[in-house]
Amino acid sequence: MNLHGIDYSIIGLYFLFVLGIGFLLKKRIKTADDFLMSARNIPLWITSLAFISANLGAQEVLGMAANGAKYGLYTAHFYWLGAVFAMVFLGLFMMPFYYGSKARSVPEYLKFRFDEKTRTFNAFTFAAMTIFSSGISLYALAMLMQVILGWDFNVSIWIAAGIVLAYTFLGGLTSAVYNEVLQFFLIVLGIAPLVYIGMQQAGGLQGILANVDNAKLHLWKGMGSAATNPMGTDAFSMIFGLGFVLAFGYWCTDFLVVQRAMISHNLNDARRTPIIAALPKIFMPLIVIVPGIILLALQKQFSGFELPLNVNGQVDYNMTLPLLLSKLYPSGILGVGITALIASFMSGMAGNVTAFNTVFTFDIYQTHIKPNAGEKHYLNVGKATTVVGILLSILTAYVARGFNSIMDLLQLVFGFVNAPLFATFLLGMFWKKSTANGAFWGLLSGTGAAALTYSLTTAEGKGGSIANLHTFYSGTSQAFNIAWIAFVVCFIVTAVISLFTEKKPEKELVGLVYSLTPRQQDKNRIWYKNPLWIAVIVLVITLALNVIFY
Amino acid sequence: MLSSIKLIIMNKFFDLRFVIGAFFLVVGIMLLIYSFFNEAVAHAAVNRWSAIFFIVFAVVMILLSFDKKPEDKL
Repeated sequence: MNLHGIDYSIIGLYFLFVLGIGFLLKKRIKTADDFLMSARNIPLWITSLAFISANLGAQEVLGMAANGAKYGLYTAHFYWLGAVFAMVFLGLFMMPFYYGSKARSVPEYLKFRFDEKTRTFNAFTFAAMTIFSSGISLYALAMLMQVILGWDFNVSIWIAAGIVLAYTFLGGLTSAVYNEVLQFFLIVLGIAPLVYIGMQQAGGLQGILANVDNAKLHLWKGMGSAATNPMGTDAFSMIFGLGFVLAFGYWCTDFLVVQRAMISHNLNDARRTPIIAALPKIFMPLIVIVPGIILLALQKQFSGFELPLNVNGQVDYNMTLPLLLSKLYPSGILGVGITALIASFMSGMAGNVTAFNTVFTFDIYQTHIKPNAGEKHYLNVGKATTVVGILLSILTAYVARGFNSIMDLLQLVFGFVNAPLFATFLLGMFWKKSTANGAFWGLLSGTGAAALTYSLTTAEGKGGSIANLHTFYSGTSQAFNIAWIAFVVCFIVTAVISLFTEKKPEKELVGLVYSLTPRQQDKNRIWYKNPLWIAVIVLVITLALNVIFY
Repeated sequence: MLSSIKLIIMNKFFDLRFVIGAFFLVVGIMLLIYSFFNEAVAHAAVNRWSAIFFIVFAVVMILLSFDKKPEDKL
């Protein structure tokens, strides 16, 4: 792919604006709360867009286009089943406890609800996961720049890490959030023309219908059995594994996204943040999945659209979006498209680093290393943690270079950490009898069950390190099944141990447990200020799309 | 007069809508100018149409930044 002066100018201009936002915000950062929590003072439209942008990382933009080519429209389940319902649930039912408890992080809520050991366990696993994820984003960015632009791997890593460090160090979480919003518009407006040109070249909707395998143009058809749909997943593991456990585990408990709602002005804004974010989320498949389907139609009609092979000799679906950019975009808009890709990687990395520094500073450093220090001290720790987080991400990126399957491993790690955590939250928020010991041992058992299931099953040649008791049709199916098993084990162990261990007094659980907390009355008559009404609109649209694309 | 205009522009840079608008305005103008000098390239029209869309979007964002509530400041 050959870039021209205009393309490099657009990339340079983007870097200039990103750094400029960091410099502008620098003088407003005076305390640790400003740096790590944006002083809970961010407007609703920004928190909503940042909420989905924090998830618009490398996996989303490149990965969903790749899945679009591999699985077709079934990939939309990650949105219309695996995101929207969980985002609505978070806004309506869980946000009052996160925001109302005045917790500064998800692990801190666990401390209020359960105890210190549960919080520490979650803080460490989450911190490790964010660094791992940030490093993978950096690695993927450098690899992409090397493969499609011929840039040096080391130079790409250090430049991208340097820019993310500069703007997160200068402006903290606010800078990351503001850049996420800029990145959101860049990704949408930078990739949308590709969908238009691709559709035109593929012969419009008729061309897609005529040239793409019909099995890849449905959402639910063939879901009766894992053998009868391209994703290799049956309806049960899709609905329970993805739609319930993985989706709710990620959107409702992952501090990376929940943090964006927790920095709102007030509780009503915090509740509306994920629900309003669900509206653009519903339409994201148009930008990130449809290009993969367009590629399938183009492959049938023209030569030159074949995907390259990866190091294992398999079709490299991750090159779907870069291939389309290089084939369909002329210089100029190509610069915007490449900048959008760079933005998605940097957005993913910055989101992880800012979540890491908050959790490390508040939940590990302030709790276990130096409690009761001054604001200035924690501000400095937050800034130092940002530098350490970036350096660890760079180290992870270099380690990732030596492993072929590290992306798969990342997907599994999400299942190991988030799936059991959702069971802990579900019981913690909605069952007043759940106890600290139940939660802690439930989390450990759930994570252990996930690891054991992975070691006893295989999919696409992966897993089964102890024995192979079952072979899944696809890695995706394996991930969904591991998730629901981890959830069920955590749920049962937590519930059983809670029945035999000491409960917290009810007066300590007010504001933390549903049955002991005064209900939020959604009485606002203006529909867009009422979370319930927005939720109804979001759910009706989502259900309609599921029916239309059945 | 000049200093008050400078102050207004500096204050605008603290509004995210203005920053986003400014970014897309510059990119749109760059693309528009480029599209006039490179008409022979395949799919060249996409540069022009994207440029026009970016400029319209930028103008809307900048206009919205003038309808500012206190909490919308950076």
